[in-house]
Amino acid sequence: MSSSRHQQLPPQEQLSALETLRLACFANPLDGLISLALISAVLAAAWQLLRWALLQAQWGVIAANSTLLALGRYPEPQRWRLWLLLWLLSTVAGLSWGLLRRQSWPRNDLLATAVLTGLTLWAPAAVAQPLAVQAHWWGLTAWLLLLRSSAGAMAARVPPPVLQCWALLWPVVYVSGMGLIAGGLGLVRVPSPLWGGLLLTLIEACFAMLLCLPLGLALALGRSSGLPLLRMGAVAYIEFIRGAPLITLLFLGQNILGFLLPGGLSPDRIWRAAWVLTVFASAYVAEALRAGLAAIPRGQVEAARSLGLNTAQTLSHVVLPQAIKVALPALVGQFISLLQDTTLLSLIGLMELLGTARTVLANPEFLGRNAEVYVVLALLFWCCCAALGLGSRALEVRLNRQRSVAVR
Amino acid sequence: MRARIPWWRHRRVLPWLIQAAAALLVLLVISALISNLVVNLSAAGLLLSWRWLGTPAGFDLGETLLPYGAGDPYWLALLSGLLNSLRVIAAALVGATALGTAVGLASFSRNALLRSLARVYVEVIRNCPLLMQLLFWYFVVFLGLPDGASALHLPGVVLAKSGLHLGPAALVDGVWRAPIRLSLEFTALLWALVVYSGAFIAEVVRGGVQAVPPGQWEAARSLGLRPRDSLARIVLPQALRVIVPGLNNQYIALAKNSSLAVAVGYGDLYSVAETTLNQTGRAIEVVLIVLGSYLLIDLAISALMNGLNRLVQLHER
Amino acid sequence: MTQAHAADVVMLEARGVNTWYPNGHHALRNVDLTVHQGEVVVIMGPSGSGKSTFLRTFNGLEDFQTGSIIIDGINIGDDLRQRDAIRREVGMVFQQFNLFPHLTVLDNLTLAPVLVRGRAKTQVERQALELLERVGIHEQAHKYPGQLSGGQQQRVAIARSLCMEPRLMLFDEPTSALDPEMVQEVLQVMQELAAGGMTMVVVTHEVRFARQVADRVVLMADGEVLEIAAPEQFFSNPQHPRSQQFLSQIN
Repeated sequence: MSSSRHQQLPPQEQLSALETLRLACFANPLDGLISLALISAVLAAAWQLLRWALLQAQWGVIAANSTLLALGRYPEPQRWRLWLLLWLLSTVAGLSWGLLRRQSWPRNDLLATAVLTGLTLWAPAAVAQPLAVQAHWWGLTAWLLLLRSSAGAMAARVPPPVLQCWALLWPVVYVSGMGLIAGGLGLVRVPSPLWGGLLLTLIEACFAMLLCLPLGLALALGRSSGLPLLRMGAVAYIEFIRGAPLITLLFLGQNILGFLLPGGLSPDRIWRAAWVLTVFASAYVAEALRAGLAAIPRGQVEAARSLGLNTAQTLSHVVLPQAIKVALPALVGQFISLLQDTTLLSLIGLMELLGTARTVLANPEFLGRNAEVYVVLALLFWCCCAALGLGSRALEVRLNRQRSVAVR
Repeated sequence: MRARIPWWRHRRVLPWLIQAAAALLVLLVISALISNLVVNLSAAGLLLSWRWLGTPAGFDLGETLLPYGAGDPYWLALLSGLLNSLRVIAAALVGATALGTAVGLASFSRNALLRSLARVYVEVIRNCPLLMQLLFWYFVVFLGLPDGASALHLPGVVLAKSGLHLGPAALVDGVWRAPIRLSLEFTALLWALVVYSGAFIAEVVRGGVQAVPPGQWEAARSLGLRPRDSLARIVLPQALRVIVPGLNNQYIALAKNSSLAVAVGYGDLYSVAETTLNQTGRAIEVVLIVLGSYLLIDLAISALMNGLNRLVQLHER
Repeated sequence: MTQAHAADVVMLEARGVNTWYPNGHHALRNVDLTVHQGEVVVIMGPSGSGKSTFLRTFNGLEDFQTGSIIIDGINIGDDLRQRDAIRREVGMVFQQFNLFPHLTVLDNLTLAPVLVRGRAKTQVERQALELLERVGIHEQAHKYPGQLSGGQQQRVAIARSLCMEPRLMLFDEPTSALDPEMVQEVLQVMQELAAGGMTMVVVTHEVRFARQVADRVVLMADGEVLEIAAPEQFFSNPQHPRSQQFLSQIN
């Protein structure tokens, strides 16, 4: 398309905005007709939506149930522990963000900062939280952004081994977070049926995300192994899991796991579901990782082996760093599906976000408020998934800056 | 000079030892699980048996293809559920393919508005959980439909709170009558599946068309073909080679997603199975039946798509 | 450029090596080869003659079914520890360079000595920089392989092998993937290496290199060694009819 002559001359003369619009949407009569139809449809839909959102919708249902949707029936006197957990999370998240981006503030980061600030200022007020709670949220966001910029400034002086092991911090955060949520070790115990709403959604999703990685990696290695028995075992597992709908596996977990384990050893409903999610996600993660492994040329392994590296060293220092980089977009795609899949827990009676929302809607006081509740939930999920997608793209950019995938 | 090599360093022995150890471990775990299962099941008096399949189910299903009533046995209930699943899967496959192809091709349109609308549709749908979308469509949109005279009607199609009526419809005593009536639950599930899978299929189609080297477009243009013809005759046949394997994955995902029917009370295989389990307590048998059925559906779709794939790939030679 | 071998110590001895591929193809047929310390042996032959396969058996990248290969007194057998020991002592340079793209040039060099030999990183880095200087690319030490030209990458690959201080270096068509103008810079490095007394087995099509640097030239065809001769004799007066045919084809 671009000839060499194109490169010598500066390309096109400046088009006026109007001209650009004409070319983009009204290039010929048919195009213009389509555009006009689309514009009127979009405007009509937007007008209806706006009218509904501002005039008809009764948003009181959200404000009245915001705590229930966020935490389930987590007891009031113990909620300070969740605040503590939030401070911990915002600390680690701020530091990670800063270390990832260093001192640069790309457009996406500015956008994310703006959205975050806007949400913090608006959302707690919108659901009519007391001023103290609102201020708490402001503090959390300020702390996160402060750490992001200061970690970004210091990132260059952080020794590389710390950066390499940084990801291992997240399991530690999860375990200590679960300690705070569940109690024990001197803290009052909060039994799992009291966890609910967004809190339970995140507990389940994060558990599965953290555990499905090592499991998926083992399966992917098994599936690409030269040993036929290991390969067949991995294939059987992966294909069985991928052939079954998640709901039937969750159903199996709730109804059969108790029969499979010796009496009393079976975990409670929440952890049973978390394990099923893990087992389910690991099969998909394994496929993503296998594609990454397959993308690494054989010569890389041969070079490593002929330098004297053993199998484990070859894997950890040569193959995996490259394979994970290739698999990253697919992996994040799986994490996004996993987050969405947690909604299926409501079908087996767990009170995660969607389950809690359905109990709210079943309450005669809020009958018929389906649209309001589902729209808010959709926005919440959409933001989480979009954030995951943006984060993965940032990580990809960072990794690609090293120009670092082997050329076949 | 040939000293005996210890087994943990022997190149030929070690792989077999590793495999034997892995196999042993798996067998041990499986046998432990099975022995637990047998102990626990016999304690509960639920040892594997299929005789309950012949006893009357005692529950009714809203809509079935086979004649079925509450007095019919469980196996007929499960079969009706399976047929209901297949019905919604088949319809959704057609709808999602049409929608996905249209949206996927729209993302190559010259019209910037159409392109960005296609993008927005895909991004919105893919980032929201299907179950939530399904509940939204059913409870908010479809249950909010008017009934009677104010129902949405086009020639041959009437969409009302009482369901989707196909064929020449008439309003009799405030109730729509038509040759074919599809329940609101079926319609909502079908719609949700089509809209959701359509977004994923659109991405598959877009990826497939993008995978065709730009030289092919240029060659078609330089032969004087119009854009429409270059797309239909040159690019799409080549894109199909990439699209068909991707479609296979999306079709299987769609088939599995149809099990969310239980959320809106459509009597598909899974929802019948759940009711059956609750009434009989036959967990193992019911789970085996459900998993086996989905496995068969997956295999059928894969076989179909593999056949199609062979057809498409042949063009290469 | 023949030189006296250090007391005729045998570095590599292959006897009656036979290799069958999993598909049944008989890739190596009863091949013998002896390489003395400090010697440079060039293996030539038409493609598909088994020369790369033969070279790759020397560090266990390729299996053989019968026969024996002894390198620096270590027998390549079924003992995994001895295989690892041989790989530590034998360096290999590939046609496709096979640098690790996710590591800087310097890290490519230091990875194996630190991991395998357990040496201190700072010490290895000093040695690596010296080696990079020797192959003429020390300015690029902190770049990634993808930022270098093919010739530079191949020189890094040679330095990477040298950093393990090997006793024997194997070269598998090291210049075949290079643009013509970069071939010479790599051959130059190899020639200097040979002059420094490194024992080398080289699979290549570069006749000039073989003439100038090799102590002996080996001709392989159809999985067999057909002729072993000093380069001046091999190129001026080849004995085996296949050698004559091969030389007439490449000239």
